[in-house]
Amino acid sequence: MKQSYAIETKNLTKKFGSFTALSDLSLKIESGAIHGLLGPNGAGKTTAIKILCGLLKPTAGEAYIFGKKVPDRSILPQIGYMPQETALYLELSVHHNLALYGELYGMSRGRIAEREQELLQFIALEKWSDVPVSNLSGGMKHRVSLACSMIHEPKLLFLDEPTVGVDPELRASFWEYFNVLKRKGITIVLTTHYMDEAQHCDKIGLLRQGVLIAEGAPSDITRQTNTTNLEDAFLVLSRQEVKA
Amino acid sequence: MDIRRALSITKRIFRGLRNDKRTLGLMFIAPIIAIFVFGLAFSGDVKDVHVVVVNHDEGYHIPPAAVPVWISKMIISNLDKDVLKVDYVDTEEEGVKRVQKGGAYGLIIFPEHLTRDIYNKIQTPSLTLSTTIQVRLDKSNVNVANAVSKAVTDAVFKTVKEAGQEMPVVVDAEDAIYGKGAKFMDFFVPGIMAFVVFLLTTLLTLISFVGERTSGNLERLQATPLRESEIVIGYAIAFSIIGMLQTVVLLTIGVLVFNIMIVGNIFLAFLVIALLAVVSLSLGILLSSLAKREAQAIQFFPIIVLPTFLLAGIFWPVEAIPSWLRPLSYAIPPSYAVDATRSVMLRGWGAGGIWVDLVALFGFAVAFLGLAVWSLKRGRG
Repeated sequence: MKQSYAIETKNLTKKFGSFTALSDLSLKIESGAIHGLLGPNGAGKTTAIKILCGLLKPTAGEAYIFGKKVPDRSILPQIGYMPQETALYLELSVHHNLALYGELYGMSRGRIAEREQELLQFIALEKWSDVPVSNLSGGMKHRVSLACSMIHEPKLLFLDEPTVGVDPELRASFWEYFNVLKRKGITIVLTTHYMDEAQHCDKIGLLRQGVLIAEGAPSDITRQTNTTNLEDAFLVLSRQEVKA
Repeated sequence: MDIRRALSITKRIFRGLRNDKRTLGLMFIAPIIAIFVFGLAFSGDVKDVHVVVVNHDEGYHIPPAAVPVWISKMIISNLDKDVLKVDYVDTEEEGVKRVQKGGAYGLIIFPEHLTRDIYNKIQTPSLTLSTTIQVRLDKSNVNVANAVSKAVTDAVFKTVKEAGQEMPVVVDAEDAIYGKGAKFMDFFVPGIMAFVVFLLTTLLTLISFVGERTSGNLERLQATPLRESEIVIGYAIAFSIIGMLQTVVLLTIGVLVFNIMIVGNIFLAFLVIALLAVVSLSLGILLSSLAKREAQAIQFFPIIVLPTFLLAGIFWPVEAIPSWLRPLSYAIPPSYAVDATRSVMLRGWGAGGIWVDLVALFGFAVAFLGLAVWSLKRGRG
């Protein structure tokens, strides 16, 4: 197993009863890349991320993170997970939400305070530290949620639909964050069903009904399908898949 | 198992409560309301029952006295004024009519020769004569009917005693081994303590855990190094402290307002309640895996409340439950807590006296904690 891959999966399959959520997913994600998992609702994006985070067990196949087979508790301190839902304690302040996760990763109080400063600056919420999360706007909550998944400086970030329900301006600033993190060498795996923003990814995987139907750099995928954007590319690929 | 991570969860719960006044109110106002409402409504004594008296007693000149005496009147004056509100009518028919119209729960009929017959019997014990005070009741309400019968019997005994007459046999239940002078509230407060802690802990953890699941927080937690057992232990620490605080509130009101008796070691009662809280929160976590939304969690309410309310021996003893139903009483954890706190507070028993209850509660706690951890791990399937 080459260390250069942050994630490698082989024929990863997940079934819920007779329903196949993910079928034979084989992926290689390089360290320091932004990798997008794209596809409509129910394509298996979230299932893939949950398996990689150790929240679900695969029915078949295997997955490796930094060369270790998941689920493996020793990987957990190195990964950060931002669920699709807000996943914050609304009655706790921003500070206490961040501190909780810092403590769970065994960070010292001083280190948590340092990281909190950095992150609050990063998400432009320095003045909101002591405000209960319930008093924040939807966009602010989203930013706090992102910060919570990064308090412990993970090397690998899983972001499940980080930009859903986020206004265009905030979406743009999220992508700025992601690029800053990328420059620090952090690997980001994110899911989205906004085809337009997937252009920003280094590499994408297109999923449809649990099956990976295309993989590569966004420009390669559009070139291969003779289309100008990923949305059209997805439609072309879907049709090919149906014919096959 | 890292206790620091578990304590982070405990801290999170207490911090959340600080900003969640509604839940905090439910935790501490609800027990206060419960003890007052139940305590006052279920005080166990029947009071202010209307009865009518038909007094045919003609009285009797007891020589050498010049004026006649009426034993009937003595008995009437000895009737417990709190229990019975006495009214008079002339004939039995009138009395019956009064009962039929709902104006009274019964009539007490004193016969014509009551005083004379009693006097003669005392003078000449060999006489085979006997006299009857008839009590005709509306027995549609058994509790009320029993209270009236008892009040009349008590008044007769009291009158006989006042007249200096000895009863041939006396039953003396005053010198109690335990609970001497105990009132209904003394019996009731230990029960309500267990009931309130069981109910609120189960419901609050149930709702709180459904929230953990639906908000995505549980998944985020499970993606950190935190273990499921640490989540459950963190909750257990928080809710046993809350349970003990609720107990302190209830006992304070019990002592200050209802003047209840506590003869045993109160800290042993706290331990019992803390164990019950651990059982309850584990049950809450278990049930939360069956509910997808907060609204569904509410549907578990009757399942939690009813068996406890009816079978745990809070309001009436387990002995009053039909024997075929009693195994159910022993299957629900609050029964043991009710029995144990009552034994500690009223009998003054130590850990040795309630070891069966302690072992049962401890067993339930361990088993339920294990099941709660299992149910959380199963989510990773």
